[in-house]
Parts: sequence; C-alpha cells; structure tokens
Amino acid sequence: MSIKFKNVTKSFGDSKVVDDFSLKIEDGEFVVLLGPSGCGKTTTLRMLAGLESVTSGDIYVGDERINDVPTQRRDLAMVFQSYALYPHMSIAENIAYPLRVRKVDRNEREQRVARVAKMLEIEPLLQRKPRQLSGGERQRVALARAIVREPRAYLMDEPLSNLDARLRVQMRGELKRLQHQLGTTTIYVTHDQAEAMTLASRVAVMKKGRLQQFDTPLNIYNHPANRFVAEFVGSPSMNLIDGKIEHGVFLSDSIKIPIDRSDAAVTIGLRPEHVHVSTAPLDGAIPASVYVTELMGNETFVFLLVGPHKIIARAPADFRAEVNCKVWLRLETDKAHFFPKEHSTDYTDQKQSV
Amino acid sequence: MKRTRIFRTGWLVLALVAALAPVYWMLTISLKTEVDQFAIPPKWFSFTPTLQHYTDAFVTRSFGQYLLTSAIVAVVSTFFALLIGTLAAYALTRFRLPWNLDHKLSLWILSTRMFPAIVTAVPLFLMMRDLRLLNTKLALIIVYTAFNLPFVVWMMRGFFAEVPRDLEEAALVDGDSRLGALVRVVLPLVSPGLAATAVFCLIVSWNEFLFALVLTQTDAAMTLPVGIAGRVTQYEIKWGVMSAAGVVAMMPILVFALAMQRYLVRGLSLGAVKG
Amino acid sequence: MPRSRRFSSALNRRELLLPYLLVAPALVVLLALSIYPLLYSITISLQQETPAGVVWTLGHFKRLASDNFFRTAMVHTFVFAAAALTCEFLLGLGLALLLNQQIRGRGLFRASLLVPMMLPTVVVGVVWRLMLNPNFGAINGTLKQVGINTESLTWTASPRLAFLAVIAVDVWQWTPFVFLVLLAGLQAIPQEPYEAALIDGSSRWQTFRHVTLPLLKPAILIVLLLRTMDLLRVFDQIFILTEGGPGFATEMISLYIYRAAFRFFDFGYAAAMSFVLLAVTNVVSVVYIRLLQAKA
Ligand SMILES: Nc1ncnc2c1ncn2[C@@H]1O[C@H](COP(=O)(O)OP(=O)(O)OP(=O)(O)O)[C@@H](O)[C@H]1O
Ligand SMILES: [Mg+2]
Repeated sequence: MSIKFKNVTKSFGDSKVVDDFSLKIEDGEFVVLLGPSGCGKTTTLRMLAGLESVTSGDIYVGDERINDVPTQRRDLAMVFQSYALYPHMSIAENIAYPLRVRKVDRNEREQRVARVAKMLEIEPLLQRKPRQLSGGERQRVALARAIVREPRAYLMDEPLSNLDARLRVQMRGELKRLQHQLGTTTIYVTHDQAEAMTLASRVAVMKKGRLQQFDTPLNIYNHPANRFVAEFVGSPSMNLIDGKIEHGVFLSDSIKIPIDRSDAAVTIGLRPEHVHVSTAPLDGAIPASVYVTELMGNETFVFLLVGPHKIIARAPADFRAEVNCKVWLRLETDKAHFFPKEHSTDYTDQKQSV
Repeated sequence: MKRTRIFRTGWLVLALVAALAPVYWMLTISLKTEVDQFAIPPKWFSFTPTLQHYTDAFVTRSFGQYLLTSAIVAVVSTFFALLIGTLAAYALTRFRLPWNLDHKLSLWILSTRMFPAIVTAVPLFLMMRDLRLLNTKLALIIVYTAFNLPFVVWMMRGFFAEVPRDLEEAALVDGDSRLGALVRVVLPLVSPGLAATAVFCLIVSWNEFLFALVLTQTDAAMTLPVGIAGRVTQYEIKWGVMSAAGVVAMMPILVFALAMQRYLVRGLSLGAVKG
Repeated sequence: MPRSRRFSSALNRRELLLPYLLVAPALVVLLALSIYPLLYSITISLQQETPAGVVWTLGHFKRLASDNFFRTAMVHTFVFAAAALTCEFLLGLGLALLLNQQIRGRGLFRASLLVPMMLPTVVVGVVWRLMLNPNFGAINGTLKQVGINTESLTWTASPRLAFLAVIAVDVWQWTPFVFLVLLAGLQAIPQEPYEAALIDGSSRWQTFRHVTLPLLKPAILIVLLLRTMDLLRVFDQIFILTEGGPGFATEMISLYIYRAAFRFFDFGYAAAMSFVLLAVTNVVSVVYIRLLQAKA
C-alpha cells in the first residue's frame, strides 16, 4: 500500500518535533528514515501508526486519509525497538495475538503461526516465554508477530539496535530477503547509515524534524543534496573544506585547487576514497602531515593535517606512515561536491510536494 | 565484631518476644479452662488445652454469624472497590487529561482517605438511617467500598505505571481496542499487584471497627469486631470466649498478611514506599 | 470519503471520553460517600433543634469553645500522639538501623513483626486487656513471680497508668510499621554515598547525620505523616481497652465525638467537633507535605 505524508507537522507544546514533512512512498517500497538522534524519526512513525496525534497536515495510506482513524483500524504492523513482546504470553500466543483480536478461528491461527515460525526459524521456541529468549530471538518473534497478519505496511523502529554487531548484520540481510519475499511496504527507522544504505530502496534523511533528501541510497551517497546529508551519510564522513573560488581556483588556508567553476564562497566536499595519499612527493600534490592512522584490516583510514584542516583519506591496508610524517595528497576534484557556504539549505523535493 | 552480633541478636530476640508474647498469651487463654486462666503464677506453657471456649463462642453464641457477616462484607466490598478503583487508576495513569486533571484528581482521591473516620461516621449514620439501611450488610458494603477506593486507586496507579507503555501500544497496533488491551495485556501483567491490593482491602474491611460499630447493632448485621467489642465492654466478661473469638478474627488476617509480605510496606504506605 | 471521516471521528470522540467514563464511577462513589457526608455534616453542625423548630446557628461552635471536656480530650489526643509517635519513631529507626544488613532469619523476623500491626485493632484491645488485667494478667503475674509488689499496678484502673498503657499498646502495634518503612527506605539507599563517606574519612555518626538521614528523609516524613494521621484519630483500641476511662483519663477526641453522637444523640455538636479534628489533621498533613516537597 502506498503511504503519503503531506505537510505533516507535530509539536509537543512549543517545540516543533516534525516540521512540514512531506513524503510519498510507493507500494512495496522499503523506505528508511535516517537521521541523528532526536530528529523526529520515531515521532513520524508513531503518527503514522496512530500512537501520536498529528498537529497539522495529512497522512494517507493508499487513498485513505488516516489522521482520525484509530490505531486499531489502521491495519499497520509495527516492530518496536524494545520488541514489546507480551511477557505473560508464550511465543506462540504472542504471534497469534493480532489474529486473536481479529477473531481468526483457532485452526487458521495455528496454521498461520506455524507458517511464520517456520519462515523465521523460531519453531522450537513457540512454547517459551519471551524472557527465556535471546535478543536476536526476541527480534524474530517481534517480526513474526508483525508479518503473521499481512498488514498494509510494516513500521519498524530501530529493530536491530539492541543486537550485537554480528547479529545485526545477519538480521539485516534476513530482513531484506523477507521484505523482498513479502513485497509489503516497509518504513524502517534508524540512525545507522550502514543499515539505511543496505536495506533501503529509498532513504529519507531527516534533520531536526525536516526532510533533507529522499532518494535511492546511491544517489544519496553520490549526490547529497546538502552539506548535512553529505556529512551524515558515509563512513568515515565526507571531508568538508570551507573556502572560496576565485578565477577558477579554490582557495582556503594552505590549500589551492584548480576548479572549473564560477567565483563563489563554497564548501567543497570530498569523500575519503577520493583523497589519495602518497609517501613520495608527487607533482601538483598537496603536502600534508599524518595525524594518526587507523588500520581497519582491509583498508587504512589516514587522518591528515593540511594547515588548519583535518582531512581523512582511505588508503590500502598496507599503507604505512609514522605519526607526523610528511605525505602528499592528490584530490579527485571531478568527484568533489560543492555546497553554498555557511547556510545549508534544506532540501525539498519538488516532485514530492503534492 | 562478635560483640556487636550478640548485641544485635539480643535486640532481635527482645523485639520478637515483645511482638509475639501478648498474642500468644491470648491464644493460651482461649485454650485454658477457667481455673488455668486465673492461675498465679501465670501458666505460659503447662496447661491442658480445651476447645470448650471455641464451641461456646461459635456454636452456642452468635460469633459464627458475626464471622459470616464479616466475611461477606469484606469480600463483596473488596470486589467493588477493586472494580471501580482499578478502572479509575488505569485512566489516571494512561491518559493525559486537560489542565493536569489526572494529577489533581489523583491527589483529591487520596485526600479523601485522610479524613478521620469519625468525621464521616456521624453523617453516614444519619444518611443510612434516612435510607433505612442501618443494621444491614449493604450499608457496610457501601461504606467499605468507598473507604477502600482511594487506596485501590493509589496502589493500582503504581502498578500500572510499572507496565511499559510499549506493550499497550503494540496491542493497539496489533488491532486490539483500548479495553481489549487493558484486559488481555495490562491486567495479566499487574495481576500480582491486583492480588496484593485485594488482600489489603480484605484486611482493612475485616479489621474495620468504627463504621461497623456505628452502623450495625443487631446480631444479624454485626461484624466480628463489633461482636467482640460488645462482649468486652459488658459487665461480666467471658475471657475464654473473647479470646477464642479474637484468635479466630486474627487467623485469616495473618495468613493473608504472610502471603503477601512482599507488598506489605507498599500497601501500608499507600504506595508511597516501595518495600 | 466524508462518510468514513464522520465515522472515524466519532470513534475518536469515544476514545476521548473513555478516561472520563473510567474515572466516573470512582468519582460518584467518593462524592456520595465522602464529600456529601461532609456537606451533610456541615449542615447539621450549623443547626439546632429548638422548641420553635430547627434554626441555623453557630451555637455548637460557641459551646465547643467553652467545653472543658472537649479541650481535655484534645490535649489528651495531642499528648498521646506526640508520645506514641516519638517512641515508635525512635524504636523503629533503631531497629531498622540495627537490621539493615543481611542477617540470618531476617525473613522470619519481619514476618513475626507483621503480627501486631496486621491484627484487628479490636483484637489488640482484647490482647492487652488480658495482659494488663490486674488480677490474672500476664504482666502482673510475671512481675509477682519475680517478687515485685504489683498491688499499686492496677493499670487500666489508675488514670496515670491507663494513659501510659494506651500509649504503650499503640507503640506495640505500630513500631513494626515504622520499622518496616524505614528499613525499606534504608535499603533503597545506594551503596556509593557510604563508600564515598568512608573514603572521605567521616565517622559513623557523621555518616549517619550527613548521608543516611538526608537520604532517608522522604521515607521518614511519609511514615510520620501516616502515623500522625492515625494517632490523631485513634479510637478502636482505646474504646476496647479503657473506653476513655477511668473517669476521663484516656478520653480522646474521636471517643468524645462518638459519645456525643451515639450516647447523647447530639449529632450537631458531634459534627461541629469533628470539623475541628478534620481541620487539625489537615493542617498537620499540609505541613508534612510541604516538608516532603521541600526536599527537592
Ligand atoms: N511525548 C513527548 N513530549 C515532548 N517531547 C517529545 C515527546 N516525544 C518525543 N519528544 C521530543 O521530540 C524529539 C524527537 O523525538 P523522536 O523520539 O522522534 O526522535 P528520534 O529521531 O526517534 O530519536 P532516536 O534516534 O534517539 O530514537 C526529541 O527532541 C524528543 O525529546
Ligand atoms: Mg527513536
């Protein structure tokens, strides 16, 4: 089912937590809401679920405006960050609960529970109580409870954040397969950009309650709409250098780069993988000194000082350099991003405004 | 180190003896023949027990009937107080009402519990007289329901507040109604607290004296405490009968109290201190 | 579309009403059985029967001001409350401090202490009449056994001793409660402040004064508040134990009101007096609650 937010605003008292938020999600999409802590992702999701009232604006599921539809009748399924499994019910009862309140008869209930339990490989757990389960198992049960009833959409609020790193990666993959298999519209909230990149068909980046960019993961990475998105997505973060372009040259303290653009005060953005480090002097390269290096196993992050600027570069795993040792940088300026200096404009997708 | 332990143990034993000896003494009196009762020096352990006072109290005299009245009044009033109070407590913890009304209502409800009993006993007597409800169990049931209500609201507020909101929201998203979520998800989770609250109401109703004294004077409507009090203040006192009635009156309370020790402090402090 | 909208907003209205529906029965019960009686009581306290019929008057309150028995009952109540409260608090605190550590048999100890405070107050009265009986009571009997002359220890028959006795009985019944609440309070105090105080080199008394007491203050105030309320309205045990006697020696305000209403059927006067009691308990509870809130 398609989902549409139209100029949705939410205030708690005087503070606007979600501000003029518009988004159109197509049927079957896997959309990730991405943003730093406190930016209003959970609030947005809860408004969609009907757990929080909408201050102004409209929310549609399919063609139905659901602002005033009570939660029970919205037919959405939600996976809570805390999983919210009912502690007094067995796993089977937990999964069957949405069916029970819909008066699905016992036989069918049992069949459907068995089917999802098989799908998520939790059959051996069915008779246990939630507290006898590990975090990963609970997470699967929460998922099972959501998918057992074929809702109009799944809402997931950081469902993987309580898991350890390894399990998180594993569950991430399983989630993606599952959604592919079911084809149900899914909205997934996270502040982990790796999750966003790997799961989403499209990512909506939020900051302080406002939508910054809504696009495919690749486009978000390669064409960030503004400085905030550029810096927030990607690890390590994009290098941002404030300066100005004069007569085809980008100028900043200790940095001079020929750039073929018209004069303006700009911030130049360069991903670490577009900064190449060499221990031998190169023609036209920028001299820098090594601040520290971090070996990641398959590659090395090199933190560099160029005058007052801190710059991060990705280097091969075998890159070796002492602290304070002098190096030379070559920048792939054709991959650079340019943002107007200082004030970062918030992005609104013209196609989205309905 | 050792001296402090002996010191501490001494205090402990002293406190234990002080707490239990008087009750034990009543127990012995209820089991002694009249001769043994008046023996000097007092017989703490060596006497031939007899159940004669118990049969006297509960078979010959009307104490059996008082016991039944006490039980009926306690159980029925507890049921209604729980029903009404739990719903109110749920609303007051789970909904934000305008003008901070939820908070103000809670405090107002608590304040009614602070009235000294005698203050309401006088007008309640007159009201019940006007309604022709004096000397009925119904009068006591009504009064005890109201008396226990603030307590139920405060205790249950505490227990409801301990149930994570997530669970209810999950139930709503799963398609359940508010009341359905209350019945299927929240109540099962607070059921230990509900049980503790019920036991407390039972104890309070069972022990209550002043309202019962004021509202019931006939054998048919009298509760056990009023029955006992009536005998004590008579000119000639049957000590054995009285003690037997006292022992029977305290037994269910002790069983209940021991069964719910865990919540005792919390209950006695109206939820203010979590023991 | 408009149709479904009306339907859903109607559902929403029901949702909005739900909390009021849930609270309503409780409010009705309390209004009918707490607030209405209070108003009723105000009315009768301001009315008097005269040959010419019922008249509105402040007569009951005027009489109150010059009623020596009432004043005596008030004084008794305050002295009784202050004395019992002090003993219960000191004993309860002492026991709580003594037992605030893992001790073998603590569960048993706790359970035994429950006995006095869970007892029906009427049974407490019976128990202590049996204990204090001058002729065959366990106390005098035991004293006699160890060779103490008990002739003058007539307990409930002597005004002085009777007053001491009713205080002692309340202390017996309610010290365990103070103990349990304070123990719960003590155990809720985290270990770190103590360790910090130890490292800072404070003495045991200093630790108690500057760490334990301030952290225990909420529990102390709550238990004092609850006990004070109960003590000021004391009725049951004294009714059984002495009926306010001998003479007027242990007459408390609640007993005096009871007598006025149900022995002399002077309901108006009883109502007037009960408002004085209500006012007093109100003032006391407000003071405690202020203190409690001032802790922040
Ligand atoms: N019930 C509420 N009352 C007042 N403010 C609230 C309420 N709920 C959320 N907020 C505020 O709204 C803002 C957004 O909260 P929200 O939970 O939506 O953030 P989030 O993006 O989900 O963050 P996180 O990643 O940490 O979960 C926060 O500043 C929060 O303090
Ligand atoms: Mg959140």
